[in-house]
Amino acid sequence: MKVGLLTIAGLTSILMSSAAFAEPVSLTLWHMEQPPHRVQRMQELLDEFNKAHPDVQVKQEPQSWGEIYAKAPAAFAAGTGPDMLFAIPDFTTVIKGIDAVVPVDDLAKDLDAKHGFVPATIAPYQYDGHTWAIPAYNMAISMWYRNSALKEAGIEVPKTWSEWKAAAEKLSKDGKYGVGLPANKQLYTDQTVYALMVNGGAADIYNEDGSISFDKPETVASFEAYGELQKLSPPDSTSWTWGEAEACFASASCGTILQFSVINTYETQAEADAADLGVAPVPHADGQSESGTISYSNAIMLTTKDEAKQAGAKVFLAWLMEPANYGRFLTMEPGLFLPVTNDGAEAESFWSDPIVTKYKSQVETMVANAKNGKLFGFTTGKVFPSIGAISGQNVIAESLQKMVVDGQSAADAVKFGQEKMSEIAGK
Amino acid sequence: MTSPRLAFLFVTPALLFLAAVLGRPLLQAVVLSFQNVGVIGTTGSWVGFENYATILGNTAFWNAFGRSALWVFANAVVQTIMALGVALLLNQKFPGVRIARTWIILTWIVPTVVVVIIWRWLLSTSGGMINPLLIQLGVIDRPVGFFATREGAMATLVMINSWRWFPFTALMMLAGLTRIPGDLYEAARIDGAGAMKRFTRITWPLLQPTLLVLGIVGTLLSFNVFDVIWLVTAGGPSQATQTLPVLIYETAFKGYRLSEAATISVLTSILLMTFALLATRAMTASEEAR
Repeated sequence: MKVGLLTIAGLTSILMSSAAFAEPVSLTLWHMEQPPHRVQRMQELLDEFNKAHPDVQVKQEPQSWGEIYAKAPAAFAAGTGPDMLFAIPDFTTVIKGIDAVVPVDDLAKDLDAKHGFVPATIAPYQYDGHTWAIPAYNMAISMWYRNSALKEAGIEVPKTWSEWKAAAEKLSKDGKYGVGLPANKQLYTDQTVYALMVNGGAADIYNEDGSISFDKPETVASFEAYGELQKLSPPDSTSWTWGEAEACFASASCGTILQFSVINTYETQAEADAADLGVAPVPHADGQSESGTISYSNAIMLTTKDEAKQAGAKVFLAWLMEPANYGRFLTMEPGLFLPVTNDGAEAESFWSDPIVTKYKSQVETMVANAKNGKLFGFTTGKVFPSIGAISGQNVIAESLQKMVVDGQSAADAVKFGQEKMSEIAGK
Repeated sequence: MTSPRLAFLFVTPALLFLAAVLGRPLLQAVVLSFQNVGVIGTTGSWVGFENYATILGNTAFWNAFGRSALWVFANAVVQTIMALGVALLLNQKFPGVRIARTWIILTWIVPTVVVVIIWRWLLSTSGGMINPLLIQLGVIDRPVGFFATREGAMATLVMINSWRWFPFTALMMLAGLTRIPGDLYEAARIDGAGAMKRFTRITWPLLQPTLLVLGIVGTLLSFNVFDVIWLVTAGGPSQATQTLPVLIYETAFKGYRLSEAATISVLTSILLMTFALLATRAMTASEEAR
């Protein structure tokens, strides 16, 4: 009787363990690529991965950037968070702050050895002794213009702030605006202002000790230059986000704009003449010799404590970064998402996309610009938790509004920014 | 069973439902307001009235409160004028009046996000229709940014919100107008009263109960408007349209100071409940006086 019971128990145990082994690992991926064509391309990739990996099944649940900062922490608190979550650097600090992200050191090291990460794309995710996310795609701000408009006005592509202002003044005629720069209290304005700060020697907003170093002559000069250009922008640019700037460029109402990419709108809503679409590095201060820009690598965090799920997620991420798959991932939005790996930048699957092929020279320029990219709060090698709130509250853009909307001097606006950032950092 | 007890019995299910869906969140907000929770989902420690002292001593709170008061007042004035005009028109007999009464509700049933997209596009300086129209009419000589200045942004937002809400108010007023007995107007006409006199002596006084109810409901609804403001200006430019609901959202989800946001919510709730209580008492007193 005893032997019989033991035998049954043993068999049950074996059956249960084999059943557990046979059960595929199910992973939920939250990303913020909401447009239907991006969701569709993601699904095509997931279907392919799931078919090739019956033991790991990944499903997507698209979210919105507008809600994710509130939704993700609430979901993790309720135990309903995803297993993988798209991120930008400041969002990672928020999720790390609630202890919901796990390091991906080994995977990052393996992928770097195999594919070679562009250093600027992974650096914002490496701090406190770990790598917190795997870079997925890069975005960098460039200056966009029409070659024909510049030729007609008899001007060269501006390389410095003074050249840019002179060009914008010449392009401002017949109801058109020489430049379209936003002044909204919103992330797009943070990005465009910071693009000028990078080019004015004011890239660092933190000191080594975590105190704020926003208020300095270089930042004031950057604000002054931005203010001069902004005066040549459409009057409603104080409420612009990315879409309005693209629309202004597509309708040829704006001569030059700063944007990650305009290829999609130019192709679908404007002339679609690849030879006429110009892209160049963001002009730099007159005293500088080289242009830089703001660049954002979007990354994927592992947000599950379950080791089996972590292993499954790593299989998926490794598969995604393979050049044959990675190019198709990037071209879910062709001409916008840039590669974060060296072999991804040469992948046939990327360059063979019809839009990327058509705008090859523009995409090459964007890739080159991205290599000189920086991101506010992630430039000193140390990352301070307050950057999440500083970015979330759009303090750079709010400071700019003090100058553009309230008529304060650049020095006072920057001083306001310094005080507000210091207040946030002190909490 | 006596009448008040029977009445209480009838409203009990509704009260229990409200307690379930509103009571608990409100209680949680009160608890949060005495803690120092930052990011949603994290825990905090007990800090007593520290958040209340911080918020009540914060100029951002009082500025937002002032903007909320301005927002409510401006919306009330604009919506009342627009709605009363339309209600008086729809109270007349003319061909197609039934279609007009149905059609008028259209702007109210359109989703907020659609309203916002329509107006942002119309007011845009790059391809919008309003600027070219105003230039053609000679009102302006160059495109203007409707959200470029503090005053312009608030005024434009009030117009957009009023455009969205006035049909609802107009229909409520129309219901009030249809309850006014027609023989009163007939008698006034026989006595030689003109249109203005009929309006000031009959329509306006008899519409007061409806206006009072609308005043209470409208104030509470207007005060809590978040979607239109957030989607159009996000509280800008330079905080010019940052009302209390916008401040609460920004504090909680952009500044990661959940407990401070809960404190503002509690203070706002107290304010609105006090208003509702006083207004209801005033309404009851007014009815009893009649």
